[in-house]
Amino acid sequence: MKAIDRRRWVLTGSVVVAVLVVAGALILFAGADPFVGVQGLVQGVSSSPYRVGEVLVGAVPIGIVALTLIPALRAGIFSVGAEGQIVVGAIAASGSIFAVDQVLGGAAPSILLWMAGIVGGSAGGAVMALIPAFLAVRWRVNEILSTLLLNYLAAGFLGWTLRTWLASPEETATPQSARLPEAAALPALLPGTRAHWGILLVVVVAVAFLLWRRSAASTRLTVFASRPKLALRLGATRSRTVYSTMLVSGVGAGVVGWIQVAGVNDRLLNSVSGGVGFSGLAVALLGGLAPVGIVLAALFFSALTAGAVGMQSATGTVPASIAEVIKGVLLLGVACIAAYQRHPATVLAPAGTTSAADEPALSAALPAGSGPEPETVVGTLAEAEHRGGLR
Amino acid sequence: MSVELWVAIIAGTLVLATPLVFAGIGEGFVERAGRINLGIEGMMIMGAFVGVWAGSLGGPLIGLVAGTAVGLLMAAGMNLVVYRLHANEIVVGLGVTMLGLGLSTYFYQLWIPSGETNVTVQTVPRSGFGPLADIPIVGPILFGQSPLVYLAGVLLVAAWAVSRFTRFGLAVQAVGTDPASAALRGVRVQKTGASALLIGGALAGLGGAVITVGTIGSFTPDITAGRGYIVLAIVIMGRSRPVGIALGALLFAFLQSFALLSQSTALTLPSEVYQSIPYLVTLAVLVITSRSQLRRLYRTTRATRAIRPAVETKGEAT
Repeated sequence: MKAIDRRRWVLTGSVVVAVLVVAGALILFAGADPFVGVQGLVQGVSSSPYRVGEVLVGAVPIGIVALTLIPALRAGIFSVGAEGQIVVGAIAASGSIFAVDQVLGGAAPSILLWMAGIVGGSAGGAVMALIPAFLAVRWRVNEILSTLLLNYLAAGFLGWTLRTWLASPEETATPQSARLPEAAALPALLPGTRAHWGILLVVVVAVAFLLWRRSAASTRLTVFASRPKLALRLGATRSRTVYSTMLVSGVGAGVVGWIQVAGVNDRLLNSVSGGVGFSGLAVALLGGLAPVGIVLAALFFSALTAGAVGMQSATGTVPASIAEVIKGVLLLGVACIAAYQRHPATVLAPAGTTSAADEPALSAALPAGSGPEPETVVGTLAEAEHRGGLR
Repeated sequence: MSVELWVAIIAGTLVLATPLVFAGIGEGFVERAGRINLGIEGMMIMGAFVGVWAGSLGGPLIGLVAGTAVGLLMAAGMNLVVYRLHANEIVVGLGVTMLGLGLSTYFYQLWIPSGETNVTVQTVPRSGFGPLADIPIVGPILFGQSPLVYLAGVLLVAAWAVSRFTRFGLAVQAVGTDPASAALRGVRVQKTGASALLIGGALAGLGGAVITVGTIGSFTPDITAGRGYIVLAIVIMGRSRPVGIALGALLFAFLQSFALLSQSTALTLPSEVYQSIPYLVTLAVLVITSRSQLRRLYRTTRATRAIRPAVETKGEAT
């Protein structure tokens, strides 16, 4: 990382060029002028405070999901279940808000309703994350597939919920819950926009993960991804790693469910997750599992979605789904860059260039005379570091 | 429940299983070669879209060929990125899926701007078994199907034969089990893996095209609705073997067909329960398979005393 690698910059540059070329080609294919398109994109993001607010509102759920996925991805556990965890978190959050409101006869103070929402949301998300974690630990069920299948079950549960126990009393065109009590709503942060206090939560979570990255636990997860046996010596058993990392991502996604209900929609809708789970995973990878990178990537994703709508209205022909294509190309490009970083680095970096902080922990954990030779161990750690969570 | 309903459910099962069998057989090769194609959903939806688009120009056969071609193309790209540039297989797979979903929606919306009626193409004509199709019960199930259903059966036998009796099939197995030994024995690991992935991509594209050109006749965004992921689960359930994959596909398709058709009958369960049952059962079977695989692993490794490395490789898919 310290030595600036020219070829890496070339690779990054070519990914950017590839994205621009693909976007330009798609716009031209639609028979529009790329410059008009870009103009529309910029306008869609920045022409009014409301639109800026929309970008922030869109970035909050993606950002939180992506940030809380850091530990799992670092450990090489691909949980694709954020979508379902958001849904169940949102259901649990709405349910507990309505319950608390009913118990207190509709006069519950805001703080109590927020607490109910947070606790309900994170509990719902956690339960939904612990199921695949249990299956993965106990019977080694592939966590990618179990989380994907659970997403469909969560969607079914949401559909049933909105028809039955949380259904709106009045007749509505689409299934939805009743409006949340006024006091449960997250207050607006910027007047005139839908931007709410959840934005600050992203900052808090990002700072927390910035600090966490320097902890021993973070390094253990990185080691777990590439050298599970070595991680075992550092105290990271498979079951503990899987349970804890999945729990963090589940709680994060569950809280996102609450935020979407209490901060954005004011009610539970069928579209509560709306692809946020998958975007979150992509953003986590795009941001290189680094908190700052993830926040920027989340803003970028959200801006792209909002800007593509602006592009659609400016050009009249370009469908807004161009944003999805660009996101896909970007993710592929980032995968290539990460691969390049991983490969030559393990070959080029001499043993012992890892940050000094890792070494004491390691020598303390390995009793002298047991295990591999010190040099090899440092080399292994260096490799583990470079391999990153993307392994 | 009447006999006619059961006949309709079972006939529908075969129709719904066909795309899963196509894509699943392809993915079976990929996973036997020790790889995994998470881009299968993207390849299927692109196959579905391109199939309809090409089908509207040149008829259903052209549509199927075009769908296969686009799947092949995407798999070639994936092979390049993952096995030449060494990018992460799972990340690239998710990227390919995102790209496929995005591109199919983009071109669909360009082709049919919102407000215009969707284009419906001619589907593959029903095969003419004539009087055989009029036999009660057996007729509609076995002899009244689209030729694609029979093609899936033929492909199934072919895939079984290829993986069992040909040099390529054994090479795929060898590469997936132990690439180093395979290389020492003169098997070209990269090339074999690439061939498997290309087969998987082509069949995923064909599977997608089968959904649209084969039965429905038109495309809507997200028409595959996660079938690609179901295929991945089925392949693990079927232990990457053609027969197991076919059984898994039939099980999922039966539950789906049952859910579609029995909602209208006297059984009064919420419709969401019906819709969720296929996924729930798939998950349950996945758990059972993983459990028995784990037990087998322990039994064999206890004998060879190689427990740790074997357990820790993430080879649960093989």
